[in-house]
Amino acid sequence: MKLSVDERWDLIDKISKETVKFGEYKHTLKDALAEITVKPLTGIPIAIAVLYGFWSFFGAFAGFFTDGFLVKLFDGHWLPWLQDVFPGGLGNWFYSIMVDAGHMESGVLVAADNCFESFGVLTSGLFVAIGVVLPAIIAFYLFLIILEDSGYLPRLAVLIDTVLHKIGLHGFAVVPMILSLGCNVPAVTATRNLETKKQRFMMMTLLAIFIPCGAQLGIMLDVIPEYVGFVMLYLFLGFFVFGFILNKIIPGRSPEMILDVPPYHMPTRRNVGRKLWARLRGFLTVAIPFVLLGVVFVNVLYLVGVIDWLANVFEPVLVGWFGVPKETTAPLVAAFMRKDLAVGQLMGIQEQLGMVAFNTYQMVTSVVLVSLYFPCVATVAMIIKEGMQDRGKGVITFLLGSLAVLMAVVFIWGGLLHLIWIILGVA
Amino acid sequence: MNNESKYNIGRIYFAIFGLIVLAFGVAERLLGITGRSFELGLLEMSGEFLLWQGIILFSAGAFYLSSFKNFSDIHQQAKVVMASVMIWIVAGMQIFGMILESIPGGEDGGWFNTAEGFLETYAGPYIPELFLLPFSLVVIYYIRLNRQK
Repeated sequence: MKLSVDERWDLIDKISKETVKFGEYKHTLKDALAEITVKPLTGIPIAIAVLYGFWSFFGAFAGFFTDGFLVKLFDGHWLPWLQDVFPGGLGNWFYSIMVDAGHMESGVLVAADNCFESFGVLTSGLFVAIGVVLPAIIAFYLFLIILEDSGYLPRLAVLIDTVLHKIGLHGFAVVPMILSLGCNVPAVTATRNLETKKQRFMMMTLLAIFIPCGAQLGIMLDVIPEYVGFVMLYLFLGFFVFGFILNKIIPGRSPEMILDVPPYHMPTRRNVGRKLWARLRGFLTVAIPFVLLGVVFVNVLYLVGVIDWLANVFEPVLVGWFGVPKETTAPLVAAFMRKDLAVGQLMGIQEQLGMVAFNTYQMVTSVVLVSLYFPCVATVAMIIKEGMQDRGKGVITFLLGSLAVLMAVVFIWGGLLHLIWIILGVA
Repeated sequence: MNNESKYNIGRIYFAIFGLIVLAFGVAERLLGITGRSFELGLLEMSGEFLLWQGIILFSAGAFYLSSFKNFSDIHQQAKVVMASVMIWIVAGMQIFGMILESIPGGEDGGWFNTAEGFLETYAGPYIPELFLLPFSLVVIYYIRLNRQK
């Protein structure tokens, strides 16, 4: 049946009369609450309270499982059992890779008494992945999903839009930013919601350098609990400083944002459960093998002497420019596989070297360097994939550009931290 | 009692409550900035997040006070609701942290806490937000009142 234009309009009138109610719309409490969360004067304190809740929940939940049970399980039962039953024993190369590399005390090779120090695939590898990172990831995604499903996240995007415009991004950039605090890999994919190539390049580069993932955050809470706030502040400051510079030097446009903000509603248990499982499955299948592979990779490099060689080559830069001991080379190599593993190794190295040779400030600098110096291999792979989609043949320029920014950031921002410690008289 | 009287009582209640919340917020911020702590009986203001708690309490107090004028307006009440939610977040997380802390045994203890250790976790002292929590729940009455209206 074919309708004329008039008949179509008549039909539209008929449908709208039956379906649309006309009258005065009265604001409800829900509407008023939605309004005050996007106005900066009221929205910013509310955002601070929400982020405080996020942080407290993260710390309490992860601490409950890690410090309450999993440290005891791994250090008190799993490690001693493996040290007893695993064939080879201390000094054997296979045993070193899988269970315990041991460390020298007064010229004698002694066994580790905790999983941070043992550096084995089945000890440090499993402990970092399951004992420390998994609870942190669960806590992070659970809270993030509740914020997403309740409708708060789009409001946060609107609230932060003005600030992000100063660095050529817009409110939508908050989605990859927050996702990145969980894992950089889905965050790189989430940059698709940014319109221009310039914005996507900036966001991918900045988040890969400056935003530590949930796994790294979890282990940072264990290693330097008092300084996590400072490290985060320093990294976020770097995000905005280098974002501002990149916005000035990269050609391209940064368009305005039009966003449909959904009403607030209660998240459903089914939806939260499904989303949480989908994200955890990604972590269990992708991240854990990378952690274990990372331990093998670093241990093999140790055994064949590559780490010692690299440590000697980079000593002038590490000690002179960044003010950290040359022993941080191994964690920096491991950081390419997994950053959480690298932070865990730093803890082990500090315990071996002692607080005099590797003090807290050097530890903080090392943690910042682990964050800055190179994105993990999974993130690099995702950046290449997204860069190819974005630029086609120009992917090499895209990667070289990212790499150039990365090198500049590591030297400037890492060196600046050392300078701050020198000025404060602690380095 | 008609609705107008109820709103008048609410306006005065939340103004007084807002002043108290604001005062605690100022105290927490000052202590947080100077890095000091304060303890009086069961009340304690200390810890690494004190400055942030102070900022949240101070803002909540300001929200309560700013709703004094034209309290029956829905937008003013939204501020009161949000101020209360902010207190609930801080206090709720404190309670959540206490519950999780009370379950496992200590570093050198067994898997689970002893009955004594479990109860000790809840013995206090407590942060100001926990004392303010019950008084902030009055807002639920006004939310219900609004729904009926």
